[in-house]
Amino acid sequence: MMEITNDEINKFVEAVKEQSSYDFSDYSEKSFRRRIEKLLNDNNCDVEKLISKLSKDSAFLNKIVKDITVNTTEMFRDPKMWHQLRYQLLPSFQNKEKIRIWHAGCSTGEELYSMLILLNEMGLFERTEVVGTDLNEDVLKVAKNGQYRYKFNMVYIENFDQVMKENPNNGEKYDLDYEKYFIIDKNRDLLKMNQFLLDKPTFQTHDLVSGKHELGEPFDLIICRNVLIYFNNNLQNKVFELFFKSLVPGGHLVIGVHESILGPLSNKFSKMAQVYQKK
Amino acid sequence: MRNAIAIGGSAGSFKVVVELLTKIPKSYNIPIFLCLHRLKHVRNGFSEALSLRSNLKVVEPQDKDEILPGKIYLAPANYHLLVGLDGKFHLSVEEAVNHSRPSIDYLFSSAALHYGKYLTGVLLSGANRDGAIGMQHINMEGGQTIVQSPEESQVNTMPKSCLELFKPDLILESEQIINYLVGLKG
Repeated sequence: MMEITNDEINKFVEAVKEQSSYDFSDYSEKSFRRRIEKLLNDNNCDVEKLISKLSKDSAFLNKIVKDITVNTTEMFRDPKMWHQLRYQLLPSFQNKEKIRIWHAGCSTGEELYSMLILLNEMGLFERTEVVGTDLNEDVLKVAKNGQYRYKFNMVYIENFDQVMKENPNNGEKYDLDYEKYFIIDKNRDLLKMNQFLLDKPTFQTHDLVSGKHELGEPFDLIICRNVLIYFNNNLQNKVFELFFKSLVPGGHLVIGVHESILGPLSNKFSKMAQVYQKK
Repeated sequence: MRNAIAIGGSAGSFKVVVELLTKIPKSYNIPIFLCLHRLKHVRNGFSEALSLRSNLKVVEPQDKDEILPGKIYLAPANYHLLVGLDGKFHLSVEEAVNHSRPSIDYLFSSAALHYGKYLTGVLLSGANRDGAIGMQHINMEGGQTIVQSPEESQVNTMPKSCLELFKPDLILESEQIINYLVGLKG
């Protein structure tokens, strides 16, 4: 693996900033470094060449930005968090006429569909508007398509069972067929979401870093999990500020199990287990 | 700069780690980073299981947490655990490396960059090749490298792949590794 210096990272960030609307200067240095190293390896070149190539070739620049910003996501990651949504948070939405949910940095959408499945089981599906955004339009295409590799997702089916088929509070079990929500084709290694789920969400590109709220009415719930770990504290504050502004009074925010709100925005939210609430 | 210890292991390493944690005294002031492979969906109970017989608390760090002496840090399930140049923990959900997340290579390489010669890296029993490259990085940055002897390892793929890559400072049996680490001063 190619090793790069901090100076080279800075040069690269500057070049991307000059050539595009993307500013990576506040990205968490650690994972950013490795992603650039991976780029150099994949393209078999050094930083100098990479910079000169992306200045001349906008398609290449586009691809580079996408490679850097791609994130992984899974179905029903962290069952405990989903239990809290199912048994504590979402029941409090029962009396609302309309529910708006924003999956910020939704990547390929597995978690967004997990949410839709849960909403449907709770009878909240019809009245909910779900928006999925990501910086990267390629992952949004995958999300819109709702088609995933079965083998990769197989271990998460167990999470699905944990969240959808049993109540941890009383041990009660529910019957539920996967077919209601997705089709599994083991031979073709496919897991495909059913059409009524695909029809529900709107997806649009959005750059959290821009700090702009351009998604219409405020949200009752924002889900942004394992995205902020790639940002430094400055940028995190900016994003928390955006989330604060984008939530209705008393609205909720869910971030990754190992993420927390630090800094100036921390006293504008109260926290209960995995869920933050706007004060 | 203060000392730190990074330990990686997979199949067959759990017992060694538990044994180590029972021997580490409460007064121990070197932070220990544990990166142990486990099943993807086994999310809970692992740090608790390790804490049971440990004198020091085993914690799964939050992203951007400070690294404190005398704590045992366990890479959370399904995240990569890294040490940043800011000296804090960073978590990542980038794709798995060698089918592993957490990746021992990532933890070791990142810690090597931050700690340099103040880092001791330990690679234990395991069934894949994760950790070998990370150990080499620790070595290149001037840190100490200790590999569990393949003969004594329950599964020797991991120690062996490290030995194929470079010559570590020490090749020890688990009991010797434990004694060595317990004897380290912060």
